[in-house]
Amino acid sequence: MTNLEAKFEDLPQEYAGLGGRGMTSTIVSKEVPPTCHPLGIHNKLVIAPGIVTGTRAPTSGRVSVGGKSPLTGGIKEANAGTSFAQMLGRMRIGAIIVEGKHAGDDYFLLKVTNDGAEFMDANKWAGKGLYNTYKALYKEFGDTVGICGVGIAAELLGSMSGVCFNDPEGLPSRYSGRGGLGAVMASKGLKFIIADPANAPGVEIANEEVFSEGIKKLINALGEHPVTQPKGGLNSFGTSVLVNIINEAGGLPQRNFSRGQDERAEKISGEVKAEEIKKRGGIRPHFCSPGCIIQCSEVWTKPGGKDPVGVLEYESVWALGANCEIYNLDDIGELNRACNDLGCDTIEAGDTLAVAMEGGLAKFGDGKAALKLMDEIRKKTPIGRILAQGTEITGRVLGVTRIPTVKGQGLPAYDPRAIKGIGVTYATTPMGADHTAGYAIAPEIMGVGGEADPRDPKKAELSRNLQIATAAVDATGYCLFIAFAVLDIPSGLEGIVESLNGVLGTELTVADVPIIGKQILDIELDFNKKAGFTAIDDRLPEFFMEEKLPPSDEVFNVTDDELDSVF
Amino acid sequence: MPIRIKFFGDLRKKVNPDIQGSLPLKLSIDNADIERISDILKRYSIEENEVIHIFVNGRYSGLTKKVKSGDIVAIFPRNMSVLYKWYFNREEDE
Repeated sequence: MTNLEAKFEDLPQEYAGLGGRGMTSTIVSKEVPPTCHPLGIHNKLVIAPGIVTGTRAPTSGRVSVGGKSPLTGGIKEANAGTSFAQMLGRMRIGAIIVEGKHAGDDYFLLKVTNDGAEFMDANKWAGKGLYNTYKALYKEFGDTVGICGVGIAAELLGSMSGVCFNDPEGLPSRYSGRGGLGAVMASKGLKFIIADPANAPGVEIANEEVFSEGIKKLINALGEHPVTQPKGGLNSFGTSVLVNIINEAGGLPQRNFSRGQDERAEKISGEVKAEEIKKRGGIRPHFCSPGCIIQCSEVWTKPGGKDPVGVLEYESVWALGANCEIYNLDDIGELNRACNDLGCDTIEAGDTLAVAMEGGLAKFGDGKAALKLMDEIRKKTPIGRILAQGTEITGRVLGVTRIPTVKGQGLPAYDPRAIKGIGVTYATTPMGADHTAGYAIAPEIMGVGGEADPRDPKKAELSRNLQIATAAVDATGYCLFIAFAVLDIPSGLEGIVESLNGVLGTELTVADVPIIGKQILDIELDFNKKAGFTAIDDRLPEFFMEEKLPPSDEVFNVTDDELDSVF
Repeated sequence: MPIRIKFFGDLRKKVNPDIQGSLPLKLSIDNADIERISDILKRYSIEENEVIHIFVNGRYSGLTKKVKSGDIVAIFPRNMSVLYKWYFNREEDE
């Protein structure tokens, strides 16, 4: 970015065979000094499709974005499902590396085609909401392009800013949200990347027969399983199917993590939302990227089917809803719209709003006041600038002591006092509090065996194996939700491995999956260690150990030794 | 004190075919003849394979879990089987 130069380079041998999180974390580890300033000249933003992304493999349209996080100060990978990912794959782009830093206040757009890449002036879109901007970009570059962009929150260099990708309707609703990577992109002077896949050669497949056999097995597994099949749980209700389930488990945090259950949460469940979308003429089910069998996505709209927002994910409904005591889907929808429009991570935004409410900036349950706070970000006011920095900083500025963060990153929608295993993952993942870091293949497949009591504090081995498996899935380009099917149907996991072999020409086996995952995690842990992280950073905030969570009255009682034994 | 039961998703229609909307169906029943979760399913002619998640007072439970007066039981249908299930142990009683 320093001299506005863009060029294609052959993939170095050391990066061959990598994809997704494997690619981003390897490049960041090799090319970014761990002690650098995340918003300085030495950080890099890496955008990489998964190994099978862009092929016919089902549910594989994932893109990983990596860099050093301004929110956590450690390595970060955040991924999203979007056709933009598939376009990069079909253009045979292993990764886009954004490096250097443009001096001054100008913003640029990078257009990437099959023949080259060029920078264009993007100042006219600075300070504007992403909904209208994405419309304008499609008008200018055509309906067949993919868009990656950052919003006003990133212009503020806010740590709650994400990297935003288009959904199939062209809405700015698919986010690599976590860790403030939007700010990294904006800090370099880059506002948008347009991918134009015209004349793209497609993903090179080394062994078509093995690949076809593999994806057939996976398609069968996804089609058979009640969670992933058409009219299954995710397809019918979206990820918000979890609202009622986690609420019944007493682990749906309410009012800034002060309760684990509330009957009012029933009003914002996936079932209620699905019915309302049908009534309004929104879209459900819906895919985030072409070729997905699960189709958990949706398009939420205002009443009458007007002003589409995009998907309202479980974590977003929780963060902007229950956690702020807002039990009204219309208010939550508008808050989600504000997040998408401003380029904010919905989880970090919801945690921040709840902490702001606790700090007296608005009343809990007041959706309109929450929207006004988001408007402070849009107007770039001093309050908006503080909020844009996320939960930790907002809480400290307002003198709030119940700040739900690990490594500076806001906790997602599962209270670690009720579901302790996920608390171990929040504490120990190199990503900062992240539910997706341990959301993967069954413990029994990883050789751990059996299920675990959620309130049993001995969780280290379970968390470690889940984190390893997740890192491996994040490298493939497959969506993590395939885990539900391959958990119960072993041929599905074989199919995944065969599809990788088909693309890469390798001879991997199921036994290699944890080895791949471990390599990625080791790279990330090493980066964080060099960035100054110690065991003390692998802890939950004190209030989780001290404040009982109603109604179970549990505290987080996993010992420090247990946490330290994870890695 | 009765047992409070919440049926979710498709199970609601099984118990009350006329139900509208999408909020859970909540019932309070006396505990005569109800010793375990499986007895509740029998009372409403729900097959075991139609059910995926059961919570008794927030604890993830299986079909043999005993229930008593004052308990709150939540029952989810098979097509709502989305859960980090490896973090949960199904509690059963002898």
